[in-house]
Order: sequence, then C-alpha cells, then structure tokens
Amino acid sequence: MTTFLQVLLNGLMLGGLFAIVAIGLTLIFGIVKVVNFAHGEFLMAGMFVTWLITTRLGLHPYASVIIVVPMMFLLGALTQRLLIQPLMSAEDDHVQIFATVGLSTAMINLALLIFGADIANTPNFGLRTPIEIGPVRVLTGQLYIFIAAIILVIALQLFLKNSQTGRAIRAVAQHRVAAELMGVNVPRIYILSFGLGAACVGLAAVLIAPLYPTSSNIGTYFVLTAFVVVVLGGLGSIPGAFFGALVIGLVDSLSGFYIGSDLREAVVFGIFLLILILKPSGLFGKRMTLSHLS
Amino acid sequence: MSISDIQSGTGTKTRNLSWPQIAFGVLLASLLLIPLGIDNAFVSHVFITICLFAALSTAWNIVGGFAGQLSLGHAVFYGIGGYAGVILFNLGVTPWIGMFVGAAVAAVVGMLISYPCFRLRGPFYTLASIAFLEVIRVLSLHFKDLTGGATGLMIDLRLGWTWMVFRERWPSLLIVFGMLLLTLAVSWAIRRSRLGFYLVATRERESAARAAGVRTVRVRLIAVAISSALCAMLGTFHAMYLTFIEPAAMFALAFSIQIAMFALIGGIGTVAGPLLGAALLVPITEWARASLGSSALGLHGFVYGIVLIVCVLFMPNGIMGVIKRFSHKKAKAADEPAQTETDPIIAPASAFATPDPDRPGIGQDILKVENLNKHFGGLYVTRDVNFTLREGEVLGLIGPNGAGKTTLFNMISGFLAPDEGKVSVRGLDGQFHQPNNPADFAALGMGRTFQIVQPFAAMTVEENIMVGAFYRHPDEKDAREAARETAWRMGLGPLLNAEARGLTIGGLKRLEVARVMAMQPRVLLLDEVMAGINQTDVRRAIDLMLSIRDTGVSIIAIEHVMQAVMSLSDRVIVLASGEVIAEGRPQDVVRDPQVVEAYLGKEFAHAHA
Repeated sequence: MTTFLQVLLNGLMLGGLFAIVAIGLTLIFGIVKVVNFAHGEFLMAGMFVTWLITTRLGLHPYASVIIVVPMMFLLGALTQRLLIQPLMSAEDDHVQIFATVGLSTAMINLALLIFGADIANTPNFGLRTPIEIGPVRVLTGQLYIFIAAIILVIALQLFLKNSQTGRAIRAVAQHRVAAELMGVNVPRIYILSFGLGAACVGLAAVLIAPLYPTSSNIGTYFVLTAFVVVVLGGLGSIPGAFFGALVIGLVDSLSGFYIGSDLREAVVFGIFLLILILKPSGLFGKRMTLSHLS
Repeated sequence: MSISDIQSGTGTKTRNLSWPQIAFGVLLASLLLIPLGIDNAFVSHVFITICLFAALSTAWNIVGGFAGQLSLGHAVFYGIGGYAGVILFNLGVTPWIGMFVGAAVAAVVGMLISYPCFRLRGPFYTLASIAFLEVIRVLSLHFKDLTGGATGLMIDLRLGWTWMVFRERWPSLLIVFGMLLLTLAVSWAIRRSRLGFYLVATRERESAARAAGVRTVRVRLIAVAISSALCAMLGTFHAMYLTFIEPAAMFALAFSIQIAMFALIGGIGTVAGPLLGAALLVPITEWARASLGSSALGLHGFVYGIVLIVCVLFMPNGIMGVIKRFSHKKAKAADEPAQTETDPIIAPASAFATPDPDRPGIGQDILKVENLNKHFGGLYVTRDVNFTLREGEVLGLIGPNGAGKTTLFNMISGFLAPDEGKVSVRGLDGQFHQPNNPADFAALGMGRTFQIVQPFAAMTVEENIMVGAFYRHPDEKDAREAARETAWRMGLGPLLNAEARGLTIGGLKRLEVARVMAMQPRVLLLDEVMAGINQTDVRRAIDLMLSIRDTGVSIIAIEHVMQAVMSLSDRVIVLASGEVIAEGRPQDVVRDPQVVEAYLGKEFAHAHA
C-alpha cells in the first residue's frame, strides 16, 4: 500500500514537472497557432545557463531565475520576430514546421559544440533532500516545482482574463483578423506571447536543472512528453495542460512500476496516439482553450 | 510547390531536353562515375552516403511532398528494413530476399499507422509520426530476443554478392546507385501518373479531390505503402553496408529529420529536389566530419539546422524553386501571350455545341430524393425534401440565404449523410443505387461544383482539369488531351499553363465547371457558378450550360442570378427554411405568393396583392 501511495505521489510530482514544461508550449500554440518543435531546446538552453550561473558564480540555482527568465523571454520574442513572423502567411504548414525543427536541430548541436557530450550537473543546494509526508517521501525540489506549476497556471489565467494585454491576447487567439480590425497590434501580441511562452519554459528550466543532469538532448526527452500533455489537455488550454500533465505523470509512474520501466514511454506515446486519433480536441472539455477561458 | 517541376519537356510534343534535365542527368551520372574514377575509399563512402540519402529522401517525398503528409517518422521503415535484413541474414537468408520481406512488412506497418492519422492536419500528423517512431524504438529496445536490444545486432561475416557484403566499396556503390535510379524512376512515374495528380489534388483541396471522384484515403495509402517499402529496401542495404545496427541509430528522430530536410532544401514535392538536396549537403557534412573529427562534434548538425532555417526563410521551394523561377523568367521574356482571361478567345467551332433545336428530350428519372431530413442540433436544415430529376432536365434550385440549398447539395453528392431519407441515382445498368460517399456518387456519374471555389491552387489550369479528366482517362496523355479540349470549350484555353491561384473569380468559377465537366458527368450539380461574375460572363455561362444540357446531361443548379434561372430551368424548386415551398415552371414559380413572401417578406407580398 505504501509502495502504491509512493508511486502515486511520484506520478503527481512528475506531473507537476511535465506541467511546468508544457504550459509555455500550449500558450504559444494557443495564441500563435504554431507548434514549437524547438520548445525542448529552449528548456535545454535555460538549464545550461542555470548550470553556468550556479557553478561559476556559486549562487543558489533558483537565483538564476533573474537572468534565465528574461533571457528566455528575449529568445522567444526573437524567434517569433525573426523566424515565425516572416512565415505567418505561408500557405503550407510544412514551412513553419521545418522552421522550428531547424531551430531545434541547430540548438541541440550548438550545445553539443559548446558543452560537448558530457553531462552537466547543477549543484542541488539541498533540493534533492527528501521530505517525509506520512509514509511517503518526496524531494523538496519536486515539491517546489509542483507548487510553482500551480501558481503559474493561476497567474497566467488571471493575467489573460483581467489585464488589458491579456484580453488583447485572447482576442488575437480567437480571431487574428478581427482583433487586428479592432486595433490590436497583432504582430506585437505574437511576439509578446511567444516570449511569454519561452519565459515559462525558462522558469521550468531553473526549477528542473538542480534535479536532472543537463545534456544537449535533454530537451527531446522532455518535449515529447510535453507534446503528449498539450494534446491531452486540449491544445492551447493552460488548465488542460496542467491536468493533462498530472494524468501523464501518473500513467508514466504507474506503468513504469507495474509494466516495466523500459516500456513506460511506449505506454505514454500509445495513449498520445489514441488521443490524437480518437479525440484530437483533448480529454478536457470540448473547447477549453485560450479563447474560451472560464 | 507546383507539381510541374521539370515541365519544359512535357508541354511540347517534341521531347527536346531542356538544360535543367541535361544538368540533372550529368549530376546523376557523376554520382557513379566520379567515385569509380577516383577509386578512393573515403570518396566512395561519401558518394554511397549521397546516393542512400538521396534515395531515402526521394522515397519520403512521395508521402511528404506529393501527398503533403509531413512525416518525421520515416526512420521506422528504414529501421524495419534494416532489422528484417539483418535478422534474416543471420538465419541464412540472403538480403536480396530479406529486403523484400522488409519492404512488405514496412508497407503493411506504414498503412496501419497512417490510416488512422489521415484526418490529422499539418503539425498533428507530424507529431503522430514522431510518436509512432518513439513507440517502435522503445519496443525494439524491449524485445531483445528479436532485435538484440540496446546492444544491437551484428551480421555474421559472409562476403560476396549473395550476401551484399563486400571488402571493396564499389559493389555497394553500384547497388545503392541502382536503388537510387529505381526510387527516382518510381517517383517520376508517380508524379506523372494519375496517382500523382490525385495525391497532389488531395493535398491541395481534399473535398474538391473527393468531388472529382478521388478515393483520397486509398491513394494516400498506396503512396505510404510505396514510400515505406522503398525506405525499407534502402534500410536493408544500409544495414549490410554498416554490418551493425542498433535501435538508437535505426529508429532515430534526427535521421528522420535529415531525410525530410534534404527534400525540403532541394524542393519538396518535386522529383529532382531530394537528390539535389542530398548531393549538396552530404559532401559538406561528411567532409567536416572527416577533417574536423571529434573536435567538431555537433558541427554538421548545427550546419544542417542553420541551412534548414535559412532555406525555409529565403527559398521555401528549395533549389528547384529557384531554378524554376529563373527558367520562368527567361520563358516569360521570350513570349508572353497577350490574352486576358476576362475575354478569352472563342473556342474552336467544333468543340462548341450550339444550343440547337435537336436537344434530346427529357427522359426518365435519373435522381430521386426522398424524405431528406438533416438537422444540426435542434435546427432543421432540410425537412422532408422530395424531388426527382429527369434525364436531360435542367432543374433550378432557388431560395433565400440559409434555406438549406448547399446542405441539400452536400447530401446528394455524398459529402454529408442525411439523418433520414434516401438519395438514389440510376446507374448505367438502369438500376437505382444508393451511394453514400463522394467517390460512389462520382462513379454513378454525379459531378458537383462548390459555391466557394476550390481550385488546386498550386496546379496549373490544365492540371486542375486533368484531375477531373483522369476519372475517364487513366492514361496521362489521354487525360491531358481531354483536359485541353474541355478547357477550350470553357473558354480557358489561353490560360492552360497559368497557375490556378492567379485566376480571377470568374476564371475560377469556370475552372470549377471545367474540372467537373472533364469527368463527363451524367448529372451535374452546380452551386452558384454565376455568383459574383460580370454580365458578359453570365451570358456566356448561360450559353455554356445550354450546350452542356444539349449533350444530354441533367443539371441541378443553385442560382441567385434570376436571369439565368429563368432562361435555363425547365423546372424550378424553391427551398425556404429547409422545406420545398414551391415547384413548377419558372414563370409560375416566381409569381407564387409564398415564394415572394419567402424572398421579400409578408409586407411586400401584401402590398402587391
């Protein structure tokens, strides 16, 4: 029983981690309507910077948030401005897909060039200390990620719902042309949204770096699951991504324990394919997307 | 992304080779002759790699380019071929047989995983293809007994042609070059054939393709099967060349991306593009890898990524796009036909049937619509609609906006299933059939146009019409001939080689009719073909429809242009709020108080009462 509870809790914590990675992805998709295949590499970049700051300056990894988040915002905004925006009017999807796939390939290999194939371990400053909660235990770092994910979801919801910029973002997400006619500066909103999505993954990177070893291909590892989460939660839905992440976290943890750790990825992607094929609008609600915040 | 890449030769009857074709031939020959001439192990290795990637990319392009299904999971098929080859090799079966076993398995797997994914669009299809790749990679790691798991599989040492394993490089080069030629030939044949046109048509506009009688799922499954089988055969070859395989290398995402990337850089959807892309990029990266060694770990991948981004931003149609633009400019400068499309040259007299008194009489019923009901939620779009259409008759279908006319059309062409009621069409066998999908309707001789025009934008006018013509003429030459003839009849003759996306609305409407006429339908459903075109064009369109009628085709026309309705229709049906409120001769129907009320409201009807 304790084992089961522990597996469940591990699943939830893993879910929190998937959520914080996926929120930025779903935000960008919901607004800009572009699937950012380089999202995982944004995470990787953020983790490497966190590692650099922590090891070179000896700071607590969480302190690097001051640098990493704005840096990632800038990276996201630049990506939108220089790469995606010129392609917004392209007739074929393949152009946009290849653009971010190209960015992803370039970033992975650039990291390989700079940092080599070795693994970079960010000092964990006690974030890997287990806390006992009744019969089960959890790492402090994991718990912080979980809490941060919840705060991020709520903060984004409030921002999108109540602020003037948030309203403009939702208007653009619903109907780009109509929003433009109402005087919304659509290209600026896109740049802002892409930056915001990237900043979210920057936050994720800071939180994840002390727990996971950083390497050039870490992004691929996380992003594939993030895609699963985003589709499961309904594309563009932030709360959907959060709950989708919890589901995938639990599935991952349970199947890893009961079916075999080498097959859990097959289970997760199997579910992904079933959702894509049977219910592409996602598990949670028909239209719980950015344009229909409730 | 037009499908006419090396078009210069096909347009004219004389098969003069154009300079791009000659250049392509020289490039192809040099892939074999240079390494054989230099006879250096490294050079040979580079050229083998070029041929391999060019062939893989060409095979990918059948699905990714022609069919527009952007797969980033094609390593699955390559891997299946590799594993089938090695596993059978170690059981004592020659890879010459193994590659066909692998091809068969890959074709089946390809069809199985693609079938449920066809409704996914754009990035979602791509994501699904990646997910399948991951699942298969994980499974291949798990089933160690079969695949050797993460440690991989080594082939037993057996040399010679029987085993496809050699000490020297040149036999491998010969084999892979032969496979490249085969793949290019297959790709070229598909591009020119009915299958190729159907694939591109489906990519450009699925519903229009279905209306043209294309069984869209079937053609894409065929494309997937061919593409995956070819990839698997190349996988078998490569496994023999490497003599060692492992899941991480055989089912790699990066590998899949590379395959797709060469096609994009060379020119996606073209026959020659993938080869150009591979021939350009492989040598650079192989050289970098060899000369810079491990100090430049990741360099070639970085270059790939940057090239991909630059290519997408500045030449999205790849090298072929640049070549095409260049050769077009030259052609344009030479002679530009000074015809505007609003005033087309009148068609050759022979092709134009004049509306004459010996119009075939109105015959038996050909289409029966009984108790057709359709509702979306609580809203009834059609309610108990009944009517028949007789052979050679022109039936006008009018009614205010939102009356359910287009929904009715969708139900009598198989695009929408009615909730209740039935639609039956008399076939050539004299029996009534109840088809239930667009392709079956088309097979019974029903053709339709769309209110919102649906051209295959990247195709020329001629190619658009050919998609329809292929329905009667499986052979490319006959279809082209038939398409040209139809184009002249529809006043589109001077625009045959113009891209459909450049036409005006009037031209597009005519193209829409021309495409369906090329199918030689027995029943023609026309959805507002005269809306938004000018007076001259309306008059011409009326003449055209009369000439179509006089060939014995039955027509149902949704139309708001009353001039056309009055002068064309033998009978008119008025639909309002989903119900038939009047039916009869046009002169009578327009005076019907109920009709006047439906169009203009009660007050108007009272005022004139």
